[in-house]
Amino acid sequence: MKFPKMDFEGLKKESPALISSQERRNFLKMGLAITGVYAGGQILSVVSRVNEVYASTTEFLKKYPYKPHYSMVVRQGLCIDCEQCISACKETNNVPDYGYRTRILTKVVTDAIGRQREFIPTLCNHCNEPPCTRACPTKATYKNKVNGIVMMESKKCIGCKMCVLACPYEARYFNDEKRAIDKCNFCYDTRISKGEKLTACSYICPTGARIFGDISNPDNVVYKMVHQIEKQVWVLRPESGSKPNVFYMKATRSSPWELRRQADAR
Amino acid sequence: MRKLFLFLVLVLSICFVYATGTVVADDEDHGGDIVYTKPLKAVIFSHKAHTEDIGLQCDWCHEETFEMEALHMQETANFDMESLCNERYCGTCHNGDISFSTTTQCARCHIGVKGYNEMVRKGLIEPEEGDVIPAETDDH
Repeated sequence: MKFPKMDFEGLKKESPALISSQERRNFLKMGLAITGVYAGGQILSVVSRVNEVYASTTEFLKKYPYKPHYSMVVRQGLCIDCEQCISACKETNNVPDYGYRTRILTKVVTDAIGRQREFIPTLCNHCNEPPCTRACPTKATYKNKVNGIVMMESKKCIGCKMCVLACPYEARYFNDEKRAIDKCNFCYDTRISKGEKLTACSYICPTGARIFGDISNPDNVVYKMVHQIEKQVWVLRPESGSKPNVFYMKATRSSPWELRRQADAR
Repeated sequence: MRKLFLFLVLVLSICFVYATGTVVADDEDHGGDIVYTKPLKAVIFSHKAHTEDIGLQCDWCHEETFEMEALHMQETANFDMESLCNERYCGTCHNGDISFSTTTQCARCHIGVKGYNEMVRKGLIEPEEGDVIPAETDDH
């Protein structure tokens, strides 16, 4: 392969001091931050700003751009793999036995002190920057403009499975009956749009490992859980840059507030 | 011919000794692993961990806290986490004082459907009626 010849010598010399603030602002608008200038001012080093933390309220609100911004908190230590969520999901959303909308992963550390087993529920993360919708050639999968749920329009799906490859969370499977990809949609068609407050999985969860709600509302339990000072909250595969909306944290049954199932708390 | 006979006797006696040895090893003086499936699937109780490993005596739990009959407790309506947190059943000792509390380390005892299926696949427990045990999955 032949690379086009670049005339480095003829380029204008630059240095951090010479970059005007207007130019810096333009870079920031592009979602990039200038981190340095290399090769004698000929190469500008920039990094993506996707993982940046937000300081002010206005910026913070932009972080949750939907209203309601549906989101889920998975309290990992509470999951006991009873798989009632999987059964409830299959029943509610007519998921065949060969498919899944949510799964539970197992982590075993045999030489750990005390607990040696951990269960990690996974589902569609309803990302703010979903790689799947970008990969879809027919726009059969798309982000709901109001609530941010990543939806499927089965009749547009051509079954190319590009979204399956693109998804960092392995949240999609091909449904033979629908002849289309099927995935979690936070029970939008089966429960949420019918006025239910919880998804089937978070409603049935006996330990409160799955907490569902609107993260754009500071009064909502999901917002409160994600913004606790004492708790470490993380997302799966942050390096994908997809800005997922399923948050994970450790928890035990020890405090009375946390002991409650979400369905009982309402 | 005589040599062959002696050889056979030797082989058979070795087999016999080996077989008796196995029988003795299988004859544990505790109840082995108990897997509860109610109210939720599944919770493991290891007799080995409680007796051989840390030296608890049978009569410390039997028959006051637990009946001798395996799985007898799960037929009781209040055999649930709330009872355990109120220091009944497992919670008698697992209260945070004597041993780790039942409000922590959930998956230390809860082996889940996956753990249950794994034990059935290994032939350690008999599946219940209506159980569908999938072939090994890669959900790790």
